[in-house]
Amino acid sequence: MPVIRFENISKTYHTGKVDFPALTRVSFAVDQGEFLSIAGPSGSGKTTILNIIGCLDKPTSGTFFFDDQDAGARSGNELADTRRRHIGFIFQTFNLIPVLSAYENVEFPLLMKGDLGPRERREQIEQILFDVGLEDFINRRPAEMSGGQQQRVAIARALVKQPKLILADEPTANLDSQTGKEILKLMSEMNKKTGATFVFSTHDQMVMDQAGRLIRLKDGVIVSDETRE
Amino acid sequence: MLPYFKLAFRNIFRFKRRTFITFFATSFGLALLIITIALMNGIDKDSISNIINCQTSHIKIFKQGYFDRRNDFPMDLTIRDPQRYYPALLQIPGVRAVESRILFGATLIKGADELPCLGVAVETDRDPDIFNIKEAILAGDWLQAGDSMILVGNDLAKDMGLAVGDSLTLRMITANEKENFNWNAMDIEVKGIFESGNPTVDGGRIIIPMAVAREGLSLPSQATEIVLRLASDDDKLIDAVKARSEALLNGSSSRFEARSWKELASDFLAVSEMKTKNSSIIIFIMLLIASVGIVNTMLMTVMERTREIGMLAAMGMKKREIMTLFICEGGFIGLIGSFLGCVIGGLTSWYLEVRGFSITSWGETMSRMSEAIYPVKGVFYADLTFSVLLMVFVFGMAIALLASAYPARKAANMDPIKALRHI
Repeated sequence: MPVIRFENISKTYHTGKVDFPALTRVSFAVDQGEFLSIAGPSGSGKTTILNIIGCLDKPTSGTFFFDDQDAGARSGNELADTRRRHIGFIFQTFNLIPVLSAYENVEFPLLMKGDLGPRERREQIEQILFDVGLEDFINRRPAEMSGGQQQRVAIARALVKQPKLILADEPTANLDSQTGKEILKLMSEMNKKTGATFVFSTHDQMVMDQAGRLIRLKDGVIVSDETRE
Repeated sequence: MLPYFKLAFRNIFRFKRRTFITFFATSFGLALLIITIALMNGIDKDSISNIINCQTSHIKIFKQGYFDRRNDFPMDLTIRDPQRYYPALLQIPGVRAVESRILFGATLIKGADELPCLGVAVETDRDPDIFNIKEAILAGDWLQAGDSMILVGNDLAKDMGLAVGDSLTLRMITANEKENFNWNAMDIEVKGIFESGNPTVDGGRIIIPMAVAREGLSLPSQATEIVLRLASDDDKLIDAVKARSEALLNGSSSRFEARSWKELASDFLAVSEMKTKNSSIIIFIMLLIASVGIVNTMLMTVMERTREIGMLAAMGMKKREIMTLFICEGGFIGLIGSFLGCVIGGLTSWYLEVRGFSITSWGETMSRMSEAIYPVKGVFYADLTFSVLLMVFVFGMAIALLASAYPARKAANMDPIKALRHI
């Protein structure tokens, strides 16, 4: 059963008197555990797809299924609940909370979810920070860490609540190539280890090469959808 | 809620300088509010104390019609043989002491100098149980029943250049005519000078034994008022005794009228009420400044953290929770600002309660102006109560929470996609 399913989805943005079609009749499905890259030039619709998958935006027409349920029929609070429980986000600019330490940033989604006791929470956070190689940086605040380290914290924050889906918007764009490679390798390892589905947008060829499946977009239309070994 | 509290608390120290300025504005406004309220309460308390202890006591009983004409000192509206009512009045629960007095218009003459004043004839053995003039003797002694001497208020004595032992002429408005006043004059010696702290009394009154006044005024057994001192200042007790004494003296007639100190000091209370209204406007402006500071800080915070708000929404934070987070931040600013305001305002008010605020240091004109309004001389003392601190603290918190509601709502209603794209 696919985690994500797009059925004939179109999205049009209205800017003043001009309508801008961001997606046109896009259909695809993503199974649990896939490591999918959505690639394309600027304005091709990558971020729009990520926003719809992340339950942050709704299509103009067509149906988006998350976990086999029509996300369009859900209220704002229900969509917030879906994001809180089932979706982890990794942002291009890391977007960590500057006043919290690495440990507290990773703890925050667990506190929001609110279903773990303090001991279980602590174990889970320490394990994920160990997995991303930051066991010695747990008390550091974002300003005291490098870009690569911050992105590792962001990955740990996205994964700690054991979501079904991780969405990453150009996760390596703000990193040097070596750090970018390391982050991508880490995401791939976590994909295999946790079984979470990873969907990330990119226009970096190195990232595309690492993806298990690559969907290419142009002008809001899928131009290719290839699965690699 | 706990993670939001923690995050909110950390966030208020994110921009330390701005937070400090907001704390300063809030705490300064609230401290000023506390000091203003404490000073106003202190001045009111001292004024009322001075009015009751030097001028009105708790209740005065007059002949019917006297009160409306009291400024003319109508000697045709006197109470004959007032002592006969004392036993019955002293039986009323709550009545502690009784005396009768004569208030009359007078002029002090010494050489070429003459000054008008209010003459107060007292029962020298009873008056100290009701008024505090005996305790306020600055020089000389309190009057005895057989004395043919007077006590003079300190300011009046200074104006006339009088000292204890000086002789002067006392001119009194006599009771002989209803409208065409006649004067009677007597030479009299100053036995003492008093400083009651009430500028009206110290600057314009003389105290004279009842017998001497009756002789001078040709009022063989009369008094213009019977004064009652009660066991407490409680309004309910005053009203009850006033009604009871009136009923007791009048029976089925209406020969007498009783008036409480509030009616007797209605001019001061009207000024006091007006002063409270004016102060409320000033206080409102102060709090408006403090709340504008909080609104400004919170709006800046929302603008600067737009992307973070988008991230929090993406992570699944609901609108209500985002609003709670920002209201908590405003609440913490209010909490710390109110606490600091209460500490600063409380300590300053405590200092002013102990040491007072000297109006004389502001010059003679200010001093005279304040004495024209308040029956308090020289130094204003604050009166701070815990309820004032608590009220201001709660008020500060409420203002902070209200001021942060709009920015919090703005944050909660942000479109997460646009917020995440914000640079």
